[in-house]
Amino acid sequence: MKRLYYDIEKCMACKTCEIACCVGHSLSKDIMKAIFEEPLSLPRIKVKEKGQKPHPMSCRHCDEPRCVMACMTGCLSKDKKTSLVLIDKNRCVGCWMCVMVCPYAAIRPDQKTKIPVRCDMCKDLDMPQCVKSCPTQAIIWCEEEELAKK
Amino acid sequence: MKQIIIIGNSAAGIAAVESIRNKDSDCRITVISDEDYTAYCRCVLSYYLAGDVGEDRLVYRGQDFYKNNNVDLILGKKVVRVDPKKNQIVLEDKQKLDYDTLVIATGSSAKLPELKGIQKRGVFGLRTVKDVKEILGLLPVAKTACVLGGGLIGLKAGYALKKRGIDIKIIVKSKQILSQVLDKTAADIIQGHLGANGLEILTGLDAAELLGNGELKAVKLDSGKVIGTEIVIIGKGVAPNIGLIKDTAVKAGEGIIVDKFLKTSVENIYACGDCAQTYDFVLEKYQVNALWPNAVEQGCLAGRNICQENSEYLGSIGMNSVEFFGLPVVSMGIAREEAGMEVLSRLDANNKIYKKVILKDNCLKGVILLNRIENSGIYLELIRHKADISSVKNELLNDTFNYAKIMDLLGKDETIYLSSAGGTHV
Repeated sequence: MKRLYYDIEKCMACKTCEIACCVGHSLSKDIMKAIFEEPLSLPRIKVKEKGQKPHPMSCRHCDEPRCVMACMTGCLSKDKKTSLVLIDKNRCVGCWMCVMVCPYAAIRPDQKTKIPVRCDMCKDLDMPQCVKSCPTQAIIWCEEEELAKK
Repeated sequence: MKQIIIIGNSAAGIAAVESIRNKDSDCRITVISDEDYTAYCRCVLSYYLAGDVGEDRLVYRGQDFYKNNNVDLILGKKVVRVDPKKNQIVLEDKQKLDYDTLVIATGSSAKLPELKGIQKRGVFGLRTVKDVKEILGLLPVAKTACVLGGGLIGLKAGYALKKRGIDIKIIVKSKQILSQVLDKTAADIIQGHLGANGLEILTGLDAAELLGNGELKAVKLDSGKVIGTEIVIIGKGVAPNIGLIKDTAVKAGEGIIVDKFLKTSVENIYACGDCAQTYDFVLEKYQVNALWPNAVEQGCLAGRNICQENSEYLGSIGMNSVEFFGLPVVSMGIAREEAGMEVLSRLDANNKIYKKVILKDNCLKGVILLNRIENSGIYLELIRHKADISSVKNELLNDTFNYAKIMDLLGKDETIYLSSAGGTHV
Protein backbone atom coordinates (compact mmCIF):
# COMPACT_ATOMS: atom_id res chain seq x y z
CA MET A 1 0.00 0.00 0.00
CA LYS A 2 1.02 3.61 -0.46
CA ARG A 3 2.03 5.22 2.79
CA LEU A 4 2.94 8.74 3.90
CA TYR A 5 6.60 9.51 4.57
CA TYR A 6 8.05 12.81 5.69
CA ASP A 7 11.33 14.45 4.74
CA ILE A 8 11.87 16.40 7.89
CA GLU A 9 14.72 18.45 6.37
CA LYS A 10 12.25 19.88 3.89
CA CYS A 11 9.41 20.46 6.35
CA MET A 12 9.22 24.08 7.50
CA ALA A 13 6.29 23.58 9.87
CA CYS A 14 4.18 25.93 7.77
CA LYS A 15 1.17 23.71 8.50
CA THR A 16 -0.26 24.11 5.02
CA CYS A 17 -0.94 20.35 5.22
CA GLU A 18 -3.11 20.84 8.31
CA ILE A 19 -5.22 23.44 6.53
CA ALA A 20 -5.48 21.42 3.32
CA CYS A 21 -6.57 18.44 5.42
CA CYS A 22 -9.30 20.46 7.18
CA VAL A 23 -10.60 21.84 3.90
CA GLY A 24 -10.41 18.47 2.17
CA HIS A 25 -12.55 16.92 4.92
CA SER A 26 -14.99 19.83 5.20
CA LEU A 27 -18.47 19.76 3.72
CA SER A 28 -17.90 22.70 1.38
CA LYS A 29 -14.27 21.92 0.36
CA ASP A 30 -13.86 25.71 0.32
CA ILE A 31 -11.55 27.31 2.88
CA MET A 32 -13.66 30.46 3.23
CA LYS A 33 -16.78 28.41 3.95
CA ALA A 34 -15.11 25.61 5.88
CA ILE A 35 -14.14 27.89 8.76
CA PHE A 36 -17.82 28.60 9.47
CA GLU A 37 -18.93 24.98 9.41
CA GLU A 38 -20.35 23.37 12.49
CA PRO A 39 -18.85 21.06 13.59
CA LEU A 40 -15.55 22.45 12.44
CA SER A 41 -13.47 20.17 10.24
CA LEU A 42 -10.32 19.28 12.19
CA PRO A 43 -6.91 18.37 10.76
CA ARG A 44 -6.10 14.65 10.63
CA ILE A 45 -2.43 15.52 10.27
CA LYS A 46 -0.61 17.58 12.89
CA VAL A 47 2.89 18.99 12.70
CA LYS A 48 4.58 18.29 16.02
CA GLU A 49 8.03 19.32 17.14
CA LYS A 50 11.03 17.60 18.56
CA GLY A 51 13.51 20.23 19.60
CA GLN A 52 13.51 22.60 16.63
CA LYS A 53 12.71 19.90 14.09
CA PRO A 54 9.13 19.63 12.83
CA HIS A 55 7.64 16.14 12.61
CA PRO A 56 4.29 15.76 10.84
CA MET A 57 2.10 13.04 12.39
CA SER A 58 -0.87 11.20 11.06
CA CYS A 59 -2.34 7.71 11.11
CA ARG A 60 0.08 5.15 9.66
CA HIS A 61 -2.59 2.58 8.86
CA CYS A 62 -0.47 0.03 10.74
CA ASP A 63 -0.18 -3.57 9.58
CA GLU A 64 -1.36 -4.72 12.99
CA PRO A 65 -3.40 -1.76 14.14
CA ARG A 66 -3.81 -1.54 17.91
CA CYS A 67 -6.78 0.78 17.47
CA VAL A 68 -8.68 -1.91 15.59
CA MET A 69 -7.91 -4.45 18.30
CA ALA A 70 -9.04 -2.08 21.05
CA CYS A 71 -12.22 -0.94 19.30
CA MET A 72 -15.05 -2.29 21.39
CA THR A 73 -17.79 -1.53 18.86
CA GLY A 74 -16.05 -3.03 15.84
CA CYS A 75 -16.39 0.30 13.99
CA LEU A 76 -12.68 0.31 13.17
CA SER A 77 -11.45 -2.30 10.73
CA LYS A 78 -8.39 -3.06 8.63
CA ASP A 79 -9.54 -3.32 5.03
CA LYS A 80 -8.01 -6.38 3.40
CA LYS A 81 -8.12 -4.94 -0.12
CA THR A 82 -6.72 -1.45 0.45
CA SER A 83 -4.83 -2.09 3.72
CA LEU A 84 -6.41 1.07 5.11
CA VAL A 85 -7.82 1.32 8.61
CA LEU A 86 -11.46 2.28 8.06
CA ILE A 87 -14.05 3.68 10.43
CA ASP A 88 -17.80 3.13 10.34
CA LYS A 89 -18.84 6.37 12.02
CA ASN A 90 -22.39 5.17 12.58
CA ARG A 91 -21.16 2.48 14.95
CA CYS A 92 -18.67 4.59 16.93
CA VAL A 93 -19.74 5.57 20.47
CA GLY A 94 -16.75 7.79 21.30
CA CYS A 95 -15.22 5.53 23.96
CA TRP A 96 -11.70 6.71 22.97
CA MET A 97 -10.17 3.24 23.32
CA CYS A 98 -8.44 3.87 19.98
CA VAL A 99 -6.99 7.11 21.32
CA MET A 100 -5.73 5.26 24.38
CA VAL A 101 -3.77 2.65 22.44
CA CYS A 102 -2.42 4.45 19.35
CA PRO A 103 1.38 4.25 19.76
CA TYR A 104 1.83 7.45 17.72
CA ALA A 105 -0.96 9.51 19.30
CA ALA A 106 -2.19 9.93 15.74
CA ILE A 107 -5.86 9.59 16.77
CA ARG A 108 -7.46 12.47 18.64
CA PRO A 109 -10.85 12.74 20.30
CA ASP A 110 -13.23 15.25 18.71
CA GLN A 111 -15.38 16.36 21.61
CA LYS A 112 -17.94 17.97 19.29
CA THR A 113 -18.74 14.95 17.15
CA LYS A 114 -17.66 12.26 19.65
CA ILE A 115 -15.88 10.56 16.75
CA PRO A 116 -12.08 10.18 16.64
CA VAL A 117 -10.14 12.37 14.23
CA ARG A 118 -7.96 10.12 12.10
CA CYS A 119 -6.33 10.23 8.66
CA ASP A 120 -8.37 8.37 6.03
CA MET A 121 -5.65 8.81 3.40
CA CYS A 122 -8.20 10.91 1.43
CA LYS A 123 -9.33 7.55 0.06
CA ASP A 124 -12.11 9.04 -2.05
CA LEU A 125 -9.82 11.57 -3.74
CA ASP A 126 -7.00 11.15 -6.24
CA MET A 127 -4.32 11.76 -3.63
CA PRO A 128 -3.99 12.85 0.01
CA GLN A 129 -4.56 16.60 0.28
CA CYS A 130 -1.55 17.07 2.57
CA VAL A 131 0.73 15.67 -0.13
CA LYS A 132 -0.85 17.83 -2.80
CA SER A 133 -0.60 21.00 -0.75
CA CYS A 134 2.91 20.74 0.69
CA PRO A 135 4.90 23.66 -0.78
CA THR A 136 8.28 21.97 -0.15
CA GLN A 137 7.35 18.42 -1.17
CA ALA A 138 8.24 17.25 2.32
CA ILE A 139 5.38 14.75 2.34
CA ILE A 140 5.98 11.71 0.18
CA TRP A 141 3.19 9.32 -0.74
CA CYS A 142 4.48 6.05 -2.14
CA GLU A 143 4.92 2.30 -1.78
CA GLU A 144 7.65 1.26 0.61
CA GLU A 145 9.67 -0.25 -2.26
CA GLU A 146 9.64 3.04 -4.17
CA LEU A 147 10.98 4.92 -1.20
CA ALA A 148 14.62 4.06 -1.83
CA LYS A 149 14.44 5.83 -5.19
CA LYS A 150 13.17 9.06 -3.68
CA MET B 1 -9.57 -32.50 9.18
CA LYS B 2 -8.38 -30.60 12.22
CA GLN B 3 -11.25 -29.63 14.54
CA ILE B 4 -10.88 -26.48 16.61
CA ILE B 5 -13.50 -25.72 19.23
CA ILE B 6 -13.77 -22.22 20.64
CA ILE B 7 -15.87 -21.87 23.77
CA GLY B 8 -17.00 -18.27 23.89
CA ASN B 9 -18.31 -15.91 21.26
CA SER B 10 -17.09 -12.48 22.31
CA ALA B 11 -13.90 -10.39 21.99
CA ALA B 12 -11.35 -13.18 22.44
CA GLY B 13 -13.27 -15.94 20.68
CA ILE B 14 -14.01 -13.82 17.61
CA ALA B 15 -10.41 -12.56 17.41
CA ALA B 16 -9.25 -16.18 17.54
CA VAL B 17 -11.57 -17.12 14.66
CA GLU B 18 -10.28 -14.24 12.56
CA SER B 19 -6.62 -14.95 13.12
CA ILE B 20 -7.03 -18.68 12.52
CA ARG B 21 -8.86 -18.01 9.26
CA ASN B 22 -6.08 -15.64 8.16
CA LYS B 23 -3.76 -18.62 8.17
CA ASP B 24 -5.91 -21.67 7.70
CA SER B 25 -9.06 -21.76 5.62
CA ASP B 26 -9.45 -25.55 5.84
CA CYS B 27 -9.69 -26.51 9.51
CA ARG B 28 -13.11 -26.92 11.09
CA ILE B 29 -14.00 -24.24 13.61
CA THR B 30 -16.90 -24.60 16.02
CA VAL B 31 -17.85 -21.67 18.25
CA ILE B 32 -20.09 -22.34 21.24
CA SER B 33 -21.88 -19.74 23.33
CA ASP B 34 -24.35 -20.05 26.17
CA GLU B 35 -26.04 -16.85 25.00
CA ASP B 36 -28.63 -16.63 22.22
CA TYR B 37 -26.99 -13.88 20.16
CA THR B 38 -24.27 -13.59 17.57
CA ALA B 39 -21.25 -11.65 18.86
CA TYR B 40 -22.24 -8.34 20.40
CA CYS B 41 -20.47 -5.37 21.96
CA ARG B 42 -20.61 -6.02 25.65
CA CYS B 43 -19.04 -2.63 26.44
CA VAL B 44 -21.81 -0.88 24.49
CA LEU B 45 -24.52 -2.34 26.74
CA SER B 46 -24.49 0.70 29.02
CA TYR B 47 -25.00 2.99 25.99
CA TYR B 48 -27.95 0.78 24.99
CA LEU B 49 -29.32 0.95 28.52
CA ALA B 50 -28.97 4.74 28.40
CA GLY B 51 -30.86 4.89 25.12
CA ASP B 52 -27.83 6.49 23.42
CA VAL B 53 -27.82 3.67 20.83
CA GLY B 54 -30.43 1.21 19.62
CA GLU B 55 -30.23 -2.57 19.89
CA ASP B 56 -29.01 -2.78 16.28
CA ARG B 57 -25.79 -1.04 17.30
CA LEU B 58 -24.87 -3.89 19.63
CA VAL B 59 -23.93 -6.14 16.71
CA TYR B 60 -20.18 -6.79 16.77
CA ARG B 61 -20.19 -9.55 14.16
CA GLY B 62 -23.39 -10.53 12.38
CA GLN B 63 -24.62 -13.87 10.96
CA ASP B 64 -22.62 -13.35 7.75
CA PHE B 65 -19.38 -13.36 9.75
CA TYR B 66 -19.87 -17.01 10.71
CA LYS B 67 -20.85 -17.95 7.18
CA ASN B 68 -17.95 -16.09 5.56
CA ASN B 69 -15.46 -17.64 7.96
CA ASN B 70 -16.97 -21.09 7.68
CA VAL B 71 -17.72 -21.37 11.39
CA ASP B 72 -20.21 -23.80 12.93
CA LEU B 73 -22.00 -21.70 15.53
CA ILE B 74 -23.75 -23.31 18.49
CA LEU B 75 -25.78 -20.78 20.47
CA GLY B 76 -27.70 -21.09 23.73
CA LYS B 77 -25.72 -24.05 25.03
CA LYS B 78 -23.40 -24.03 27.98
CA VAL B 79 -20.27 -26.13 28.05
CA VAL B 80 -20.28 -27.75 31.47
CA ARG B 81 -17.08 -29.74 31.37
CA VAL B 82 -13.79 -30.13 29.55
CA ASP B 83 -12.23 -33.57 29.44
CA PRO B 84 -8.60 -33.06 28.35
CA LYS B 85 -7.84 -36.79 28.54
CA LYS B 86 -10.45 -37.59 25.90
CA ASN B 87 -10.05 -34.29 24.02
CA GLN B 88 -13.73 -33.78 24.53
CA ILE B 89 -16.13 -31.20 25.85
CA VAL B 90 -19.55 -31.86 27.36
CA LEU B 91 -22.52 -29.59 26.82
CA GLU B 92 -25.31 -29.08 29.34
CA ASP B 93 -27.59 -31.32 27.29
CA LYS B 94 -24.99 -34.13 27.72
CA GLN B 95 -23.89 -33.85 24.08
CA LYS B 96 -20.17 -34.54 23.67
CA LEU B 97 -17.93 -32.90 21.07
CA ASP B 98 -14.38 -33.90 20.13
CA TYR B 99 -11.63 -31.42 19.46
CA ASP B 100 -8.04 -31.43 18.30
CA THR B 101 -7.42 -27.98 19.71
CA LEU B 102 -9.58 -26.19 22.26
CA VAL B 103 -9.77 -22.45 22.92
CA ILE B 104 -11.37 -21.45 26.20
CA ALA B 105 -12.69 -17.92 25.85
CA THR B 106 -15.58 -18.16 28.27
CA GLY B 107 -15.22 -14.63 29.62
CA SER B 108 -16.36 -13.55 33.04
CA SER B 109 -19.55 -12.94 34.98
CA ALA B 110 -20.66 -10.23 37.36
CA LYS B 111 -19.42 -10.96 40.88
CA LEU B 112 -22.40 -11.17 43.17
CA PRO B 113 -21.70 -10.27 46.79
CA GLU B 114 -23.02 -12.42 49.61
CA LEU B 115 -25.90 -10.22 50.49
CA LYS B 116 -29.22 -11.13 52.09
CA GLY B 117 -31.99 -10.72 49.53
CA ILE B 118 -29.78 -10.72 46.46
CA GLN B 119 -32.02 -13.25 44.68
CA LYS B 120 -34.97 -10.83 44.69
CA ARG B 121 -36.61 -9.73 41.47
CA GLY B 122 -35.15 -6.37 40.50
CA VAL B 123 -31.49 -7.19 41.17
CA PHE B 124 -29.23 -7.27 38.11
CA GLY B 125 -25.69 -7.35 36.83
CA LEU B 126 -24.88 -5.29 33.73
CA ARG B 127 -23.23 -7.96 31.68
CA THR B 128 -25.53 -9.38 29.04
CA VAL B 129 -28.20 -8.25 26.58
CA LYS B 130 -30.63 -10.19 28.78
CA ASP B 131 -29.67 -8.07 31.81
CA VAL B 132 -30.32 -4.86 29.90
CA LYS B 133 -33.63 -6.02 28.46
CA GLU B 134 -34.87 -6.99 31.91
CA ILE B 135 -33.80 -3.66 33.39
CA LEU B 136 -35.48 -1.81 30.52
CA GLY B 137 -38.64 -3.78 31.21
CA LEU B 138 -38.74 -2.44 34.77
CA LEU B 139 -38.12 1.22 33.86
CA PRO B 140 -41.80 2.16 33.41
CA VAL B 141 -42.54 1.22 37.01
CA ALA B 142 -39.25 2.36 38.56
CA LYS B 143 -38.54 5.74 40.08
CA THR B 144 -35.28 5.04 41.86
CA ALA B 145 -32.36 2.73 41.22
CA CYS B 146 -29.42 1.91 43.43
CA VAL B 147 -26.07 0.85 42.07
CA LEU B 148 -23.77 -1.15 44.32
CA GLY B 149 -20.15 -0.43 43.45
CA GLY B 150 -18.30 2.65 42.23
CA GLY B 151 -16.25 0.97 39.53
CA LEU B 152 -16.59 1.49 35.79
CA ILE B 153 -19.63 -0.76 35.42
CA GLY B 154 -21.37 0.78 38.41
CA LEU B 155 -20.83 4.33 37.19
CA LYS B 156 -21.79 3.49 33.62
CA ALA B 157 -24.98 1.87 34.89
CA GLY B 158 -25.71 4.94 36.99
CA TYR B 159 -25.03 7.25 34.05
CA ALA B 160 -27.31 5.19 31.81
CA LEU B 161 -30.27 5.10 34.17
CA LYS B 162 -29.91 8.79 34.96
CA LYS B 163 -30.26 9.45 31.25
CA ARG B 164 -33.47 7.43 31.38
CA GLY B 165 -34.81 9.81 34.02
CA ILE B 166 -34.41 7.48 36.99
CA ASP B 167 -33.18 8.80 40.34
CA ILE B 168 -29.79 7.24 40.98
CA LYS B 169 -27.92 6.46 44.13
CA ILE B 170 -24.51 4.88 43.77
CA ILE B 171 -23.33 3.13 46.90
CA VAL B 172 -19.56 2.81 47.11
CA LYS B 173 -17.88 0.85 49.85
CA SER B 174 -14.49 2.56 49.56
CA LYS B 175 -13.73 6.21 50.24
CA GLN B 176 -13.60 7.06 46.53
CA ILE B 177 -15.11 5.99 43.23
CA LEU B 178 -13.05 4.06 40.64
CA SER B 179 -10.65 2.99 43.37
CA GLN B 180 -9.15 0.23 41.19
CA VAL B 181 -8.14 2.56 38.37
CA LEU B 182 -7.76 6.11 39.70
CA ASP B 183 -6.15 7.93 42.60
CA LYS B 184 -8.25 10.04 44.95
CA THR B 185 -7.48 13.35 43.23
CA ALA B 186 -8.83 12.21 39.86
CA ALA B 187 -11.71 10.29 41.44
CA ASP B 188 -12.85 13.31 43.46
CA ILE B 189 -12.94 15.53 40.36
CA ILE B 190 -15.03 12.95 38.49
CA GLN B 191 -17.28 12.42 41.50
CA GLY B 192 -17.92 16.17 41.65
CA HIS B 193 -18.68 16.18 37.95
CA LEU B 194 -21.09 13.23 38.25
CA GLY B 195 -22.74 14.90 41.25
CA ALA B 196 -23.23 18.11 39.28
CA ASN B 197 -24.92 16.00 36.61
CA GLY B 198 -27.37 14.52 39.06
CA LEU B 199 -25.78 11.25 40.17
CA GLU B 200 -25.89 10.89 43.91
CA ILE B 201 -22.83 9.03 45.15
CA LEU B 202 -22.55 7.71 48.69
CA THR B 203 -18.98 6.70 49.56
CA GLY B 204 -17.82 4.74 52.58
CA LEU B 205 -21.13 2.87 52.73
CA ASP B 206 -22.15 -0.64 51.80
CA ALA B 207 -25.42 -2.47 51.36
CA ALA B 208 -26.29 -4.71 54.31
CA GLU B 209 -29.52 -6.22 53.02
CA LEU B 210 -31.94 -6.04 50.14
CA LEU B 211 -35.50 -5.73 51.40
CA GLY B 212 -38.85 -6.69 49.89
CA ASN B 213 -41.29 -9.56 49.56
CA GLY B 214 -39.98 -11.42 46.51
CA GLU B 215 -39.82 -8.12 44.66
CA LEU B 216 -37.16 -5.64 45.64
CA LYS B 217 -38.47 -2.69 47.65
CA ALA B 218 -35.45 -1.15 49.35
CA VAL B 219 -31.75 -1.34 50.14
CA LYS B 220 -30.68 -1.30 53.76
CA LEU B 221 -27.21 0.20 54.23
CA ASP B 222 -24.66 -0.81 56.85
CA SER B 223 -25.30 2.56 58.48
CA GLY B 224 -28.89 1.46 59.12
CA LYS B 225 -30.35 3.85 56.56
CA VAL B 226 -33.00 2.40 54.23
CA ILE B 227 -33.33 3.61 50.63
CA GLY B 228 -36.50 2.74 48.74
CA THR B 229 -35.66 1.39 45.27
CA GLU B 230 -37.16 -0.76 42.54
CA ILE B 231 -33.88 -1.66 40.83
CA VAL B 232 -30.46 -2.66 42.14
CA ILE B 233 -27.54 -3.03 39.77
CA ILE B 234 -24.49 -4.84 41.04
CA GLY B 235 -21.16 -3.45 39.86
CA LYS B 236 -18.74 -5.29 42.08
CA GLY B 237 -16.35 -6.48 39.41
CA VAL B 238 -16.23 -9.68 37.41
CA ALA B 239 -15.10 -13.25 38.04
CA PRO B 240 -13.67 -15.53 35.31
CA ASN B 241 -15.99 -18.30 34.04
CA ILE B 242 -13.77 -21.29 34.74
CA GLY B 243 -16.15 -23.84 36.28
CA LEU B 244 -15.82 -26.05 33.20
CA ILE B 245 -12.15 -26.90 33.90
CA LYS B 246 -12.63 -27.70 37.59
CA ASP B 247 -10.76 -30.88 38.60
CA THR B 248 -8.96 -31.18 35.27
CA ALA B 249 -5.28 -30.85 34.37
CA VAL B 250 -5.91 -27.29 33.15
CA LYS B 251 -4.20 -25.18 35.79
CA ALA B 252 -6.02 -22.18 37.18
CA GLY B 253 -5.66 -19.53 39.85
CA GLU B 254 -8.22 -16.76 39.75
CA GLY B 255 -8.37 -17.42 36.01
CA ILE B 256 -6.92 -20.05 33.69
CA ILE B 257 -3.18 -19.62 33.74
CA VAL B 258 -1.57 -19.25 30.31
CA ASP B 259 2.02 -18.94 29.14
CA LYS B 260 3.33 -16.33 26.73
CA PHE B 261 1.84 -18.29 23.84
CA LEU B 262 -1.62 -18.22 25.48
CA LYS B 263 -1.33 -21.95 26.04
CA THR B 264 -2.68 -23.54 29.23
CA SER B 265 -0.94 -26.30 31.18
CA VAL B 266 -2.49 -28.74 28.68
CA GLU B 267 -0.71 -28.91 25.32
CA ASN B 268 -3.68 -28.49 22.97
CA ILE B 269 -5.79 -26.15 25.10
CA TYR B 270 -5.50 -22.37 24.88
CA ALA B 271 -7.23 -19.72 26.96
CA CYS B 272 -7.73 -16.04 26.26
CA GLY B 273 -9.81 -13.07 27.30
CA ASP B 274 -11.50 -12.45 30.65
CA CYS B 275 -11.23 -16.08 31.76
CA ALA B 276 -7.45 -16.11 31.38
CA GLN B 277 -4.83 -15.18 33.93
CA THR B 278 -2.00 -13.62 31.96
CA TYR B 279 1.33 -11.99 32.66
CA ASP B 280 0.77 -8.32 33.52
CA PHE B 281 3.83 -6.44 32.25
CA VAL B 282 3.39 -3.55 34.68
CA LEU B 283 2.71 -5.54 37.84
CA GLU B 284 5.12 -8.25 36.65
CA LYS B 285 2.87 -11.05 37.88
CA TYR B 286 0.04 -13.20 36.59
CA GLN B 287 -3.23 -11.35 36.72
CA VAL B 288 -6.74 -11.37 35.28
CA ASN B 289 -7.05 -8.13 33.30
CA ALA B 290 -10.61 -8.50 32.08
CA LEU B 291 -10.64 -5.77 29.45
CA TRP B 292 -11.75 -5.72 25.82
CA PRO B 293 -8.41 -4.71 24.19
CA ASN B 294 -6.51 -7.35 26.15
CA ALA B 295 -9.06 -9.99 25.17
CA VAL B 296 -8.84 -9.21 21.45
CA GLU B 297 -5.04 -9.24 21.44
CA GLN B 298 -4.96 -12.53 23.35
CA GLY B 299 -7.53 -14.16 21.08
CA CYS B 300 -5.63 -12.99 18.04
CA LEU B 301 -2.31 -14.40 19.29
CA ALA B 302 -3.88 -17.65 20.49
CA GLY B 303 -5.29 -18.10 16.99
CA ARG B 304 -1.93 -17.50 15.37
CA ASN B 305 -0.17 -19.88 17.70
CA ILE B 306 -2.73 -22.57 16.98
CA CYS B 307 -1.58 -22.12 13.38
CA GLN B 308 2.02 -22.75 14.46
CA GLU B 309 3.15 -19.16 14.35
CA ASN B 310 4.82 -18.95 17.78
CA SER B 311 3.81 -15.36 18.42
CA GLU B 312 4.84 -14.25 21.88
CA TYR B 313 2.44 -12.19 23.96
CA LEU B 314 4.13 -9.31 25.74
CA GLY B 315 1.44 -9.45 28.39
CA SER B 316 -1.66 -7.65 29.56
CA ILE B 317 -2.11 -4.32 31.30
CA GLY B 318 -4.89 -2.69 33.23
CA MET B 319 -6.05 0.18 31.04
CA ASN B 320 -9.30 2.05 30.79
CA SER B 321 -10.78 4.86 28.78
CA VAL B 322 -14.14 6.26 29.77
CA GLU B 323 -16.08 9.47 29.49
CA PHE B 324 -18.87 10.76 31.71
CA PHE B 325 -20.96 13.77 30.68
CA GLY B 326 -18.19 15.09 28.43
CA LEU B 327 -15.31 14.49 30.87
CA PRO B 328 -12.89 11.89 29.47
CA VAL B 329 -10.34 9.99 31.51
CA VAL B 330 -7.69 7.41 30.66
CA SER B 331 -5.79 5.35 33.18
CA MET B 332 -3.09 2.77 32.58
CA GLY B 333 -0.99 0.56 34.82
CA ILE B 334 -0.94 1.36 38.52
CA ALA B 335 -2.95 4.29 39.89
CA ARG B 336 -1.27 4.71 43.25
CA GLU B 337 2.44 4.99 43.86
CA GLU B 338 4.27 2.53 46.07
CA ALA B 339 7.44 2.96 48.09
CA GLY B 340 10.44 3.81 45.91
CA MET B 341 8.34 5.30 43.14
CA GLU B 342 8.36 8.84 41.88
CA VAL B 343 5.28 10.87 40.97
CA LEU B 344 4.96 13.77 38.56
CA SER B 345 1.60 15.48 38.40
CA ARG B 346 -0.15 18.59 37.20
CA LEU B 347 -3.55 19.67 38.46
CA ASP B 348 -5.83 22.38 37.11
CA ALA B 349 -8.91 21.76 39.24
CA ASN B 350 -10.94 24.64 37.77
CA ASN B 351 -10.77 23.07 34.32
CA LYS B 352 -10.93 19.51 35.67
CA ILE B 353 -7.55 18.76 34.14
CA TYR B 354 -5.22 16.35 35.90
CA LYS B 355 -2.20 14.50 34.62
CA LYS B 356 -0.14 12.13 36.67
CA VAL B 357 2.63 9.69 35.89
CA ILE B 358 4.16 7.18 38.26
CA LEU B 359 7.80 6.28 37.68
CA LYS B 360 10.05 3.57 38.99
CA ASP B 361 13.73 3.81 38.11
CA ASN B 362 12.76 6.30 35.39
CA CYS B 363 10.34 3.86 33.77
CA LEU B 364 6.62 4.54 33.54
CA LYS B 365 4.45 2.32 35.74
CA GLY B 366 1.19 4.18 35.69
CA VAL B 367 -0.56 7.11 34.06
CA ILE B 368 -3.75 9.03 34.76
CA LEU B 369 -4.94 11.56 32.19
CA LEU B 370 -8.10 13.48 33.02
CA ASN B 371 -9.65 15.77 30.42
CA ARG B 372 -6.41 15.76 28.37
CA ILE B 373 -6.30 12.29 26.86
CA GLU B 374 -4.95 13.14 23.40
CA ASN B 375 -1.47 11.73 23.96
CA SER B 376 -2.39 8.68 26.02
CA GLY B 377 -1.09 6.14 23.50
CA ILE B 378 2.44 7.51 23.79
CA TYR B 379 2.53 6.80 27.50
CA LEU B 380 1.28 3.28 26.85
CA GLU B 381 4.11 2.84 24.35
CA LEU B 382 6.65 4.02 26.94
CA ILE B 383 5.23 1.55 29.47
CA ARG B 384 5.23 -1.32 26.96
CA HIS B 385 8.86 -0.72 26.01
CA LYS B 386 9.98 -0.12 29.60
CA ALA B 387 11.69 2.97 28.14
CA ASP B 388 14.03 5.09 30.24
CA ILE B 389 12.34 8.50 30.21
CA SER B 390 15.06 10.54 32.00
CA SER B 391 15.74 12.62 28.88
CA VAL B 392 12.10 13.70 28.51
CA LYS B 393 11.14 13.84 32.18
CA ASN B 394 10.61 17.61 32.21
CA GLU B 395 8.29 17.39 29.20
CA LEU B 396 6.23 14.35 30.21
CA LEU B 397 3.22 16.29 31.44
CA ASN B 398 3.21 18.99 28.76
CA ASP B 399 0.29 19.02 26.34
CA THR B 400 2.90 19.37 23.55
CA PHE B 401 4.48 16.03 24.47
CA ASN B 402 4.39 13.89 21.34
CA TYR B 403 5.63 10.78 19.60
CA ALA B 404 8.64 12.49 17.98
CA LYS B 405 10.02 13.17 21.45
CA ILE B 406 9.95 9.49 22.43
CA MET B 407 10.82 7.65 19.23
CA ASP B 408 14.52 7.43 20.09
CA LEU B 409 13.69 5.91 23.47
CA LEU B 410 11.80 2.90 22.17
CA GLY B 411 14.69 0.97 20.69
CA LYS B 412 12.93 0.17 17.43
CA ASP B 413 13.40 1.31 13.85
CA GLU B 414 11.52 4.42 12.86
CA THR B 415 10.64 4.26 9.20
CA ILE B 416 8.48 7.18 8.16
CA TYR B 417 10.82 10.09 8.86
CA LEU B 418 13.50 10.63 6.24
CA SER B 419 16.15 13.22 5.79
CA SER B 420 17.13 14.53 2.37
CA ALA B 421 20.27 15.84 4.06
CA GLY B 422 21.35 12.21 4.44
CA GLY B 423 20.54 9.39 6.83
CA THR B 424 17.08 8.07 7.47
CA HIS B 425 15.68 8.01 10.95
CA VAL B 426 15.91 11.47 12.33
